[in-house]
Amino acid sequence: MEQELKAHLKKLMASGDVAGIIALKSERGMAKPYLFADASELECLCLTPKYPMASVARLLLDEDGAARFAIVCRGCDERALRELAKRHQVDLDRLVIVGIPCDEEMARECACPEPFPSVVAVGTKLEQWEAEDIGAAYRAMELDEKLAFWKHQLEKCNKCYGCRNACPMCFCKDCELENALWVKHGRLPPEFPIYHMIRAFHLAGKCIACGECQRACPSDIPLMVLNTLLREDMEELFGYVSGTGADAENPLYTKEEMQ
Amino acid sequence: MKYDNILTTCPFCGCGCKYYIQVVDGVAKSVLPCKEDPISEGHLCIKGWNAIDFVYSKERLTTPLIKENGAFREATWDEAYGLIASKFKEIKARDGAKAFGFFSSAKTTNEENYLMQKLARGVIVTNNVDHCARLCHASTVAGLAASFGSGAMTNSIPEVEDVDCFLITGSNTTEQHPLIGSRIYKAKEKGAKVILVDPRSIQLASIADIHLRQKPGTDVAWLNGLMHVIIKEGIADEEFIEQRTENYGEFKAEVMKYTPERVEEITGIPKADLIAAARMFANAEAASIIYSMGITQHTTGVDNVKSCANLAMLTGNLGKPSTGVNPLRGQNNVQGACDLGALPNVFPGYQAVTVPENREKFEKAWNMAEHIPESIGLTVVEMLNAAHDGALKCLYIMGENPMISDPDITHVREALDALEFLVVQDLFITETAEHADVILPGTSFLEKDGTFTGTDRRVQRIRKAIEPLGNARPDWEILCDVAKHLGSDQFVYASPKEIQDEVASLTPLYGGVTYERLDKEGYLQWPCPNAEHPGTVFLHNGKFSRGLGHFFPVSYKPPAEEPDKDYPFILTTGRILFHFHTGTMTRCSPKLNKEVPTGYVEIHPSDAEAMGIADGDLVQVSTRRGTIQIPAYVTRKVPEKTVFIPFHFKECAANMLTNPALDPIAKIPEFKVCACKVEALGESS
Repeated sequence: MEQELKAHLKKLMASGDVAGIIALKSERGMAKPYLFADASELECLCLTPKYPMASVARLLLDEDGAARFAIVCRGCDERALRELAKRHQVDLDRLVIVGIPCDEEMARECACPEPFPSVVAVGTKLEQWEAEDIGAAYRAMELDEKLAFWKHQLEKCNKCYGCRNACPMCFCKDCELENALWVKHGRLPPEFPIYHMIRAFHLAGKCIACGECQRACPSDIPLMVLNTLLREDMEELFGYVSGTGADAENPLYTKEEMQ
Repeated sequence: MKYDNILTTCPFCGCGCKYYIQVVDGVAKSVLPCKEDPISEGHLCIKGWNAIDFVYSKERLTTPLIKENGAFREATWDEAYGLIASKFKEIKARDGAKAFGFFSSAKTTNEENYLMQKLARGVIVTNNVDHCARLCHASTVAGLAASFGSGAMTNSIPEVEDVDCFLITGSNTTEQHPLIGSRIYKAKEKGAKVILVDPRSIQLASIADIHLRQKPGTDVAWLNGLMHVIIKEGIADEEFIEQRTENYGEFKAEVMKYTPERVEEITGIPKADLIAAARMFANAEAASIIYSMGITQHTTGVDNVKSCANLAMLTGNLGKPSTGVNPLRGQNNVQGACDLGALPNVFPGYQAVTVPENREKFEKAWNMAEHIPESIGLTVVEMLNAAHDGALKCLYIMGENPMISDPDITHVREALDALEFLVVQDLFITETAEHADVILPGTSFLEKDGTFTGTDRRVQRIRKAIEPLGNARPDWEILCDVAKHLGSDQFVYASPKEIQDEVASLTPLYGGVTYERLDKEGYLQWPCPNAEHPGTVFLHNGKFSRGLGHFFPVSYKPPAEEPDKDYPFILTTGRILFHFHTGTMTRCSPKLNKEVPTGYVEIHPSDAEAMGIADGDLVQVSTRRGTIQIPAYVTRKVPEKTVFIPFHFKECAANMLTNPALDPIAKIPEFKVCACKVEALGESS
């Protein structure tokens, strides 16, 4: 897939349609997000591990108010870009999405609801994919078990804010997690359970199930259990699945948030 | 537009997390975790995430300053160098090299530490060079070198995940070394046992199987007590003791005096808990001791360290994965600063200055006409004492802030003011720099190339991501320029890579470390003596660095100052997650400063109630050295009659209070115990 993608991107670059291509570059044996501006550099393009590419796109679109970029996108990246666009955080007209699918191993690791973008430019998407239900074990617990489970998990929190920092959907300039009205400053672990609850609730209708928060957590807190439960509630209560359907209106989106 | 991610190493603690700096058109935008880095694995702590804030702080010093009539004025580099050269020459001609002192820096690169000690030894010709390791792990370097022959963390960070039983003491790991703390959680999930020995109920207490809350300063007693139980119950590793160690008999005679009853009397640790902990540790397959300042910062620091070494030998927990004696180094490059000879007794690679062949080797390499003194130089605290007494006239401080970090700040201020000439090289006009005659603007980790050595002996690159701000210059360039202005022709390097090549040629420990290999392999763990050597994941495999491990009999000695009727509380000090050391870097980060904007004193609810102190009240804390006013944090984290103050905050500086009493061998001050009193002021802060 890598060679095919490189050929595809070389053509795209030659077309002159984009100022650069946002993708992963391999340097000294490690992958990093990069803006490819020269076809010769594409030899160093690589595909794994996953990085939050939508956040990179948002940064670069902000830095350059006019340029148009191509971006190599997995399913989660595209979902993030769509949801960001609904909130006016990225301008999809300035992005050319080059979709690639995830293989079964990657899809399983993320328990990804849809491990491919809407249009697959290169590669073949998984047929008959069904994601693991990561909320199942939790739903089976008694109420007191649930409390004990979260107490144990959240006690490990290092208050790094990594879950928020890594999240492609966390774009607020002033974050309520840092508001002393809700969460006492400077305490470790942060107050139970408000710190993690604020983040979870603020992700309702936003979380696109990329799993970056959980991967960024040094303490292995199963944040995707929380997020999955909220995604289920959103679907059940409002019939909304975030990141899918570019035209679908988000029921929890408010004008205030836009400001 | 140019967008790139530059891989570099974190400038805060000793974990050595590598991460990317996102750079757009020459401006650093943010930190991006590197998912393939073996230490961070894509995770960071709050300091790492916010590591670029201080670099762009408005407070950054970007031009040299010279003090005239009590006030600083901006100066050119040539003016600054000219003044330094003329004053240095004048003082050296009049008072000799012994009137000079050099504080190197655990924040700067290996290459810069090498140059600092080369400047001291090779140009001024004194061994008076030291750095803040004196205040943190000097007792480790001395103690483990004596017991094992090598004064560093024996095992590696990734191994922590597979430990079966931890003894964690004097390390608030989740706050001070978060990416090691997170691995303790991972090991616990896999079934590891956790024995925590700490007077404070730190975050790890929630997962501890046994938490022993010793009276501060009684570590030798409980360590001897654990070993007493292990020997008495016949669960020591006889085979290891027989084959790998010496002096067991003398050691055993000493520890057998420490019955659990006696230990309970000294330490306050219940007898039954001590016995349970001893069994748990000795019976584990792979048991690991993790310690930090709670062990080292005592007048018995070396004794404490030797006792930890004894316990690991007694149970055969050395020379194997996921075991060992693991001192966690507090600064990004404090391991490297020690390794590169920024110590008064050793050249790079711990080659003793007292050995004539070593001196000859370096004199020859540096093409010296004069001879390096055969006697060891002064330590950090001794240099300040010598300045106070008028014997030391000139001090060159790079990236250190003794006005906050050293014990008894009043004494430090008097010492700095007594100097004839003080040069400070730093990113900011620190509390120390305010006392300088010349301030040289150095650069942060983002603005230069070099290497740091993490706590597990891991040498890693830092890479220049942005140009130096204003007229600031990379510290290695400044040191070369100063040496050149003093007439040396031995400081000609095109880049830090060439400095490392010189280090490798003179330092067997780093003999195989090259930039080419670091680029290709990502890191190298010393010892790495030659180009073919893969580096060393854990030390003492099959044989100790010194041959046999040495059991030192250690007897308990009380701290230098104990509570009495005038000063009834024990004061203990330390760091917190959200700040770093003297706050120079973290207090100008909005996100970090928001979490904890000022200092506080942790006090137990029953003590607070007895004095009518409510949470948040301003209180007065005094010792025989000084007095501060500070908000109270009423919490059960501390035991009764013990208070804790983080030392980061100049406005309520813990080190106004601390005791400068030193360990007789390592010369480390007793930051962890002194006697204090707490008084209510009847005001809310």
